[in-house]
Amino acid sequence: MFGLGISGIKVIADALKLSERVVITYSQFHSGRIDYAWTREKNGCGKWLHYNKKIYPPQTPDEEPRSAFVCHVKRNIKYSPWKMWYIACLVRGLTVEEAVKQLTFINKKGAGIAKDTILEAQELAVSQHNVEYKTNLWVAESFVGKGHVVKGFRRHARARFGKVEYFHCHYFVRLEEGTPPEHYYYHTRPLTGTEMLDNWLQEMRNRRIFGGL
Amino acid sequence: MAATLVRCLRDTLKIIDWAVISVLGRPFPPSDPCLAVAHYETAPEKTYSLDNVFDSAFLWAVPKHRTTIEKRLKRKFGSPDYGMKIYLPKTNLLECNTCGHHHEAGVLCSHCYEKVIAETKEMQEKIQENLGLSPVEQDVVVLYDNERQKEPEEFWQGKRIVEMKKERPPWFSKNLMQRSTQSPASSNDVKPTELA
Repeated sequence: MFGLGISGIKVIADALKLSERVVITYSQFHSGRIDYAWTREKNGCGKWLHYNKKIYPPQTPDEEPRSAFVCHVKRNIKYSPWKMWYIACLVRGLTVEEAVKQLTFINKKGAGIAKDTILEAQELAVSQHNVEYKTNLWVAESFVGKGHVVKGFRRHARARFGKVEYFHCHYFVRLEEGTPPEHYYYHTRPLTGTEMLDNWLQEMRNRRIFGGL
Repeated sequence: MAATLVRCLRDTLKIIDWAVISVLGRPFPPSDPCLAVAHYETAPEKTYSLDNVFDSAFLWAVPKHRTTIEKRLKRKFGSPDYGMKIYLPKTNLLECNTCGHHHEAGVLCSHCYEKVIAETKEMQEKIQENLGLSPVEQDVVVLYDNERQKEPEEFWQGKRIVEMKKERPPWFSKNLMQRSTQSPASSNDVKPTELA
């Protein structure tokens, strides 16, 4: 290496040099897809809509028939995610018709947006996801994510400053075919007589005598 | 002897001058013109001490106790006793028999009412066009197509007529324009049936 000199290095460089300048791109090198957080948000994709593309294997006759569903999202709505959460919670477990009806009477900006999203999802379900009747849909999942945040500062009196944040949110919804369940949340379902009795018996048995063995 | 004395004095003064220059860096009295600066009281410098912070009411309002997790969650997510933030589905929504849209019970159907608003606006514009800013001393009657002919001309005397160049909307009943107040009675007699 040391005794080569300039001419020697030049030979090696020529040997290593390819005929033209070659650029090996990420996709040629790696087999996976580029999925950085910023590209995902920039393209407006994320993984939610991939659930629509998933192809399930054929079901056996014993299996419970899998109901059709559609996943839809509205990205970067100029609305606070914490305010949107209340609207998303209202709509869970309702039929599409009932959800749209209830959202019409909520006096909030997010309610209109949620209503549009649900109606869009309903249309997609009928056109692309093999749903027969558009009224035979219910809201299986409805939740919110945080989107872009634009930050800034504002002045106050007496040399004080405040941080200002402008939030955006994503609204996710999944509509499923069929009738909704009786109670969306298992833990808030009304208990049957037997369940209540069992609970009461358990509570009675859990009592202990203070200071006893 | 006087010349020597003067020479000595002059030399001494020179030495003093040289000493002053070597010490001060400049001759005294100064060779160049310069300003004489009178001493004045400078404005007190604003020092940001801890007292300033406490003086300006910055740390006066402070919580005395830690808010419990129950209170915090109630404030954040709402509760029936604190102020419900969670939306519950409304049970007072009815369907309008005319158009099929939903409306709250005890409230007019918004879809139907919007039609009424539009028609009223048209009527008002027409009245404005015809009457302008003249005072309303007589009854204003708004008529649609083919309604003027239904009554004899004497009926329309003493009334300001505003003609709408369109057909009467099917939902706009003539009976709506009937006066709800009664005109004052012409006689003072009270009928026996109307006695208390």
